[in-house]
Amino acid sequence: MSGLLINLDNSFRDRLWKNTIVAIPYLWLLLFFLAPFLIVLKISLADPIVAQPPFTPLFQESENGSFSIFTTFDNYLYLFQDSLYFITYLSSVKLAFISTILALLIGYPIAYGIARSPQPTRNILLLMVVIPFWISFLLRVYAWMGILKTKGLLNGFLLWIGIIDQPLELLYTDTAVYIGMIYSYLPFMILPLYANLEKLDVRLLEAASDLGAKRWEVFKDVTLPLSVPGIIAGCCLMFIPAIGEYVIPALLGGADTLMIGRVLFDEFFLNRDWPVASAVAIVLVLLLVLPIVYFQKKQNEEPLTES
Amino acid sequence: MNDNEKAFIEIRGISKYFGDFAAVYKVDLDIKKGELFSILGASGSGKTTLLRMMAGLEIPTEGKIFIDGIDMTNVPPYRRPVNIMFQNYALFPHMTVFDNIAYGLKKEGVAKDIIQDKVSKMLTLVKLSEYGKRKPNQLSGGESQRVALARSLIKEPKVLLLDEPLAALDKKLRQSTQFELIDIQEELGVTFVIVTHDQEEAMTLSDRIAVMKEGEFVQIGAPNLIYEHPKNKFVADFIGNINMFDATVIDSNEQDVSIHCEALGGDIVLQKPSRAYNIKEISVALRPEKVMIDKQQPTDENIDFVTGIVEDFGYFGNLSIYRVRTNNGQIIQVSKQNRIRSEHTITWADEVYLSWESDSLILLES
Repeated sequence: MSGLLINLDNSFRDRLWKNTIVAIPYLWLLLFFLAPFLIVLKISLADPIVAQPPFTPLFQESENGSFSIFTTFDNYLYLFQDSLYFITYLSSVKLAFISTILALLIGYPIAYGIARSPQPTRNILLLMVVIPFWISFLLRVYAWMGILKTKGLLNGFLLWIGIIDQPLELLYTDTAVYIGMIYSYLPFMILPLYANLEKLDVRLLEAASDLGAKRWEVFKDVTLPLSVPGIIAGCCLMFIPAIGEYVIPALLGGADTLMIGRVLFDEFFLNRDWPVASAVAIVLVLLLVLPIVYFQKKQNEEPLTES
Repeated sequence: MNDNEKAFIEIRGISKYFGDFAAVYKVDLDIKKGELFSILGASGSGKTTLLRMMAGLEIPTEGKIFIDGIDMTNVPPYRRPVNIMFQNYALFPHMTVFDNIAYGLKKEGVAKDIIQDKVSKMLTLVKLSEYGKRKPNQLSGGESQRVALARSLIKEPKVLLLDEPLAALDKKLRQSTQFELIDIQEELGVTFVIVTHDQEEAMTLSDRIAVMKEGEFVQIGAPNLIYEHPKNKFVADFIGNINMFDATVIDSNEQDVSIHCEALGGDIVLQKPSRAYNIKEISVALRPEKVMIDKQQPTDENIDFVTGIVEDFGYFGNLSIYRVRTNNGQIIQVSKQNRIRSEHTITWADEVYLSWESDSLILLES
């Protein structure tokens, strides 16, 4: 009898332990994602006022002592009325999209090369991909300013070898932003691609070759389709932070480089219009989350398709 | 079967080095058209490397491979009239069964309706007509094996290379699949080259077997030849079970050989040996199923026998295996068909007489 009790006790403790383990990530998300999100959502539904904090409270006390909830969609309407925001969203998506595609084109061969190299070399190459993270992100972007400026390293080199005779205007242009974005986010593209390509069964490639596929056909028919999960992961890891990027366009971009991160910064810190800034942030989150949820749903459905 | 005389695959002095290590060393081999040929060896014997060189997946360090008279040594895999079935099948996981099988034809640029027709026929041949739309992860081991077979046969290759074709299947399935493979081979007349570590598989499947060890062939021949007339101790020991004893040659000429073997009760005379033996130290081998075991002394006075005590015995249903310790301390393994349905009459600690036909004895040089 007592043995049974101890067993029950143990199984109860096991369950408690399991639940605790499962609860930790939920708690984390609740505290550091959902709560801030709700606060921002709340602010986006308020009116800006000159006060501390600079927005109207959600619960307002009327003169007769009763509370009422105050919300307004003015900020969202404002986003749609002023075409600046729409154009900025579009321009951010475009910048992030093109950077992601370019990074994919650069990152895929690198990841493939690393995955196909012999084991000891592979580790060194991987280390080289990750090593820039040892240096502060801001510092690296500053370094690009030194390289790209009119009298910078790149122009100096190109003038020296005689390809150009006028220095190129690179810094403070969209080109500089692309260079900065691709450089900064390339490891996030390479690592998931590598993780995927490294698992690829070489025998599948041999089988395709044996059945008559030439080298590029083997790549097109087997390697590429099987690396789609890696491509999606790499692109998400790059595209999502790139779309809201602030530092790179602020430092390397020109005055006409429109990115939502900069608008957000300006609304918060220059205009001190917290509600509009919050609305901008909420729309950005929705723009990012909805396609991802859609993709994930699609991916989960895939293995179940059966006729 | 008219081209029986002419070798269809000719391998001439082929070697493959990985660094300093010779995985395959100066191998010569002729395989006839329509033959079911097995390369049998333990893991690391170089058998898979040899197969991969035939497929073009590995370039030989030296030597030449001819298929149907054409030098194929440096021809890339996609231009060889050869297809390979991989050990774990290597089915494309992102394609349906149909697309997997159709792949080789698509790469050839065959018209769609012909592909449809051929793949359907092939699916019928491997008894998977209903499975065309499935993905490889929805197949059992046996079904995957048949898809892999269909995929490698769809281009009607002159030679099909099979790398451990049955290793991933469980025993029951392996037996039925063996016969299916033979049927398909007979129906299509394709030359099969099978690489396996499983001697039973090699014995039942093949017309001829090449036993491979450390990158070289030890013996090539029909299954019964390799089993009954092993060339040396390695082959005798590798194929099937065998009892092996030390012996000395007393006298040897073309007619008979006299040997002295302590384990088998003293002096033995072997009639018509294949050749004369001019060395002294020799091994005598005797297959367990060729030893007769009885509680009574053999009545035939010409037959040699030893006595011993059953030390161990295992009952396998169709047969029983006895380990008998002879009076001079040797262990002899004996297998006996359980032909009569009754309690086994011989059991532990029984005193038994072991006898054998003298031509069952195999003389082997070390």
